[in-house]
Amino acid sequence: MKDLISRNLDHMTPEEFEASLPELFEAGGGAISNDPRFATFFAANPNCAALVRDLEAIAEQARSLFEPIHDPSDAVWSNIASRLKDGIHNDGDES
Amino acid sequence: MQLQGPLRMQTKPNPGFFKRNAPIAGEADAIERARNGDPDAFAQLYALHKRRVYTLCLRMLGNVSEAEDMTQDAFLHLFRKLGSFRGESAFSTWLHRLTVNLVLMHLRKKGLQLVSLEETISPSEDDAPRRDFGSHDQTLTGSVDRVTLERAVALLPPGYRMVFVLHDVEGFEHNEIATMLECSTGNSKSQLHKARLKLRELLRNPQALAPHDGSAQPAAHAVAAGQKEVAR
Repeated sequence: MKDLISRNLDHMTPEEFEASLPELFEAGGGAISNDPRFATFFAANPNCAALVRDLEAIAEQARSLFEPIHDPSDAVWSNIASRLKDGIHNDGDES
Repeated sequence: MQLQGPLRMQTKPNPGFFKRNAPIAGEADAIERARNGDPDAFAQLYALHKRRVYTLCLRMLGNVSEAEDMTQDAFLHLFRKLGSFRGESAFSTWLHRLTVNLVLMHLRKKGLQLVSLEETISPSEDDAPRRDFGSHDQTLTGSVDRVTLERAVALLPPGYRMVFVLHDVEGFEHNEIATMLECSTGNSKSQLHKARLKLRELLRNPQALAPHDGSAQPAAHAVAAGQKEVAR
């Protein structure tokens, strides 16, 4: 990735900005749309601003997927209980 | 690259991660009793964690049958390894890591050579996000709702989906993902970024996300119902 430290952010090209995005998101904890250092650049490049807002929205909503919505069938526990009853210690599978 | 000086951003700990993995009431007691061979306590641990473990397997594998098999394997593995849980991380974090490792091992056995996952998880050109950056762009309208996002995630190429689920959903750090997937942290970051770009592309095309049978069935199940398997 190009060294952004010495760059004037206001004059980045959209391509340079995109190339830096993975690192920027990581370093910024996922929130860069409101970072004042990019204000001029975003004002001049509304598509970049929109892209960042969208990606932030996706990452934000992804957190809600942590709460599970799918249940395994009852057969899963039946199989586990059956294996435990049979003594899985003896099956030698320690993978 | 490390961002420094004026461009250094505040590195925030994932704010929701520890809260999301907070100990559950009664869990510590159940762990202790299960370690001592109490079958009811192990059943309690299963009840507490089955949905998260199964949902993780389903998202990573995209297949109900395989996800159920892996859920079963994960809990049997848990039973064997419970004695080695030291409490240095939240139990759910430890269990999720154990599950992820089992799923990855399963994928390796199936033929996805994770020795060089860096190469094998990369999707084809068709699956990659389009490089139309900077052109007139249609933004996402309104907020992204959970069900739609779930559908879009299920449609991601396997490599993108895995990194997205591990980082953005499960809260793993890039260095942890790199270790698990045997790739570089840079590759993990790059895959995550491409996954988000691909999701944006999918979310801007709602027709592609509509359930084929007209039901509101979650996408992971829809995918699992037929068409797609990971790591074929």
